Amino acid sequence: MEQVTPSGFRRSKQRAARLLCLAMGIGLGMLCAAGGAEEASEYQVKAAFLFNFTKFVEWQAAAFAAPDSPIVICILGDDPFGTVLEQTVAGEVVNGRKVAVRRMKQAPPPKSCQVVFAGRPGKEVLKLLPGLGPGVLTVGEGENFVRGGGMIAFVLENRRVRFDINQAAAENAGIKLSSRLLSVAKSVE
Amino acid sequence: MLTFRDIPIKQKLMVIIMATTTVALVLAGVGIVAADSLLFRSYLKRDLSALARIAADNSTAPLQFNDPRVAADNLAALRVRTHLVAACIYRPDGTVFARYLRPDSNSGCPSAGGPDEQRFSREGLIVSRAIILNGQRVGTLVLLYDLDEIAERMKLYGITVLGVLLVSTLIALLLSTKLRAVIATPISHLVGATTSVSETGDYSVRAQRFSRDELGVLVDRFNEMLAGIQSRDHNLRTALHDREEALRDAEKARERFRFLAESMPQKIFTATPGGVVDYYNRQWTEYTGLTFAQMEGDGWKEYLHPEDVEPVFEVWTRSLATGEPFHAQQRVRRADGAYRWHLSRALAMRDPQGRISMWIGSNTDIHEQKEKEDELRRANEDLQQFAYSASHDLQEPIRNVAVYSEILAKRYSNLLDADGRQFLGFLTEGGRRLATLIDDLLAYTRAGVVESNMTAVDSSAVLGHAISSLAEAIRENEAVVTCDALPRVHMGESHLQQVFQNLIGNALKYRKEDPPRIHISADHQGAAWRFSVRDNGIGIDPHYKEKIFGVFKRLHRDQKYSGTGIGLAICQRVVERYGGRIWVESSPGQGATFFFTIPEHAPRVHSAAV
Repeated sequence: MEQVTPSGFRRSKQRAARLLCLAMGIGLGMLCAAGGAEEASEYQVKAAFLFNFTKFVEWQAAAFAAPDSPIVICILGDDPFGTVLEQTVAGEVVNGRKVAVRRMKQAPPPKSCQVVFAGRPGKEVLKLLPGLGPGVLTVGEGENFVRGGGMIAFVLENRRVRFDINQAAAENAGIKLSSRLLSVAKSVE
Repeated sequence: MLTFRDIPIKQKLMVIIMATTTVALVLAGVGIVAADSLLFRSYLKRDLSALARIAADNSTAPLQFNDPRVAADNLAALRVRTHLVAACIYRPDGTVFARYLRPDSNSGCPSAGGPDEQRFSREGLIVSRAIILNGQRVGTLVLLYDLDEIAERMKLYGITVLGVLLVSTLIALLLSTKLRAVIATPISHLVGATTSVSETGDYSVRAQRFSRDELGVLVDRFNEMLAGIQSRDHNLRTALHDREEALRDAEKARERFRFLAESMPQKIFTATPGGVVDYYNRQWTEYTGLTFAQMEGDGWKEYLHPEDVEPVFEVWTRSLATGEPFHAQQRVRRADGAYRWHLSRALAMRDPQGRISMWIGSNTDIHEQKEKEDELRRANEDLQQFAYSASHDLQEPIRNVAVYSEILAKRYSNLLDADGRQFLGFLTEGGRRLATLIDDLLAYTRAGVVESNMTAVDSSAVLGHAISSLAEAIRENEAVVTCDALPRVHMGESHLQQVFQNLIGNALKYRKEDPPRIHISADHQGAAWRFSVRDNGIGIDPHYKEKIFGVFKRLHRDQKYSGTGIGLAICQRVVERYGGRIWVESSPGQGATFFFTIPEHAPRVHSAAV
């Protein structure tokens, strides 16, 4: 059931232009959208943020199955990204590891996922969180996600995508969040 | 206007010190400022680079999560660096993501250059730094830093250098006053001493020495030089004084000599070593009636008898060449034209080194004496002529007396009684003695005549002739006559033979019982040959040494020693005629030795000679 999107996969010229715009504006979705012909959608920005989180997070070695295992971003439940996330991480390498995307309905086995994005409905996902074990960064949507034990939650502020952080939850899971990440968070618990 | 070369040394020193100090300080100041500017710029680059690195790191998350506000807050924290004019973060597409501008800044963000670039521009130092995350460039940070700090530092340095220059100038001024005492003062003293010496000519002045350095040495040498000049000056003055004194002495001596010469009755002259007469006394001018100008130099030819000029000149020239005393008789013309005989003598005066310095001569009037001598000589010659004629004319009658008395005694003695025969014997004896006497007298008068056309004769040959003449007497006496090698002499042959014959005859006559031994020899004595005739006869009492040479002097009256007593007189007359002398050395019973000398060179026979 696991599906890895191959990097460098091109579908059409129009998609390629969008990709280029994204590549240039990694983390700058709004601007890219403002300057681009079409506005970047909310999930395009969230996909970029989701990928960017991996750059400000330190996992313990035990969080991976092997030294050369990729950083796997697992989408639990509904997938709001479509192909955008695959396009975002295609060909990227973070801290010497490739980045991959998986989708799953059930809680993943240990060391198979380093990032878990909880799609809607979030309440079922919240129940799964304690079973994920250490070494997994959990990302969700809405203020309630961090209050429910999630580590990072996307929130909208004046139609701008921002995020809250539950630092304690991350520390409990053996995940170290960069202070630079904390400095740009909307709120840190 | 005075050039630097001409200004006083103390001002020179000051100028040199000031110039040196100023140049050194300015150069040092410029060097320090230049070095500091370079160092500070490089420090500023490093410092800003570090600042940029930190700011860039802090900008990654805001860039990644599109949070310009956070980025701007981060940049605003840099305002503590008051010289930071602007700090801007560019997105990769070149648009400004966040920025900080100093409130007084009137310019915007500096344009982004290449990644990690530092450059100095008109606005200041611009530092660009790429913002890298996960190996990717996510943006660019640009800082603009003004250079007011450098200008401030330059200003500070300039003020410091100026201050130090001012202080050091003051110190240099103070030092130069001190240095004046160390260098300029000794020089001033030296200059004062030299000026004093050159103005007063007083070499006893001495310069004062202040130090042991080159100036001290200079002063010492100067003083030594002065001492040298002083001593030389003193010596010069002494020498001048001595010389003046010597000149005065010489002048005095000359005056004394003049006075002496003028006061003498003789005619005095002096001549140079070369023989030029340079002084005649008053007696000369009075006598000759000539002025000194007419007589000086060769002027003596003027007053000398023409016949005497050549011979006197010859003698004078020889004396000049040999330095021997000049001696001549000459006729000098008196003012009235009459020539009078003078004895002229001159002696060479020599300096301490033995060189002839001058000739001093005198002329004495011997005219009366010479006249008398000539008179006497004429009388003598007359007498001699008379004696010669008389003895010559007497020879014939005397011989007749002797011959005929002998004939009478032979043929007619038997006709006479005893008395008559005795008287006849007396007559015969007297006649014979008279004849001998006449012969001797004739010989004596002949001895006074010097032979003309005289040549050198071999005296040993002449001795041979004399011995032959005496052969019979030698044989009778059983005498032995020996001789050494004998020289050639300038003498009339007959005269020499006569001398030998008389002396040998004497030795045969005054013999002892032993057979006579007679030895003739000759040796060189000065400018003459000395002959000797030695015998072993009865000898002569020294008392009679002089008398025996008189005419008719006989020491022995007895018949044992016959003779007229004229032989030695003849010898003396001959020898003296040739300029020699004759004498005897003997003692009774010890034999006798007769000596006579003959001058080596032929005697000069001329009218002016003695």
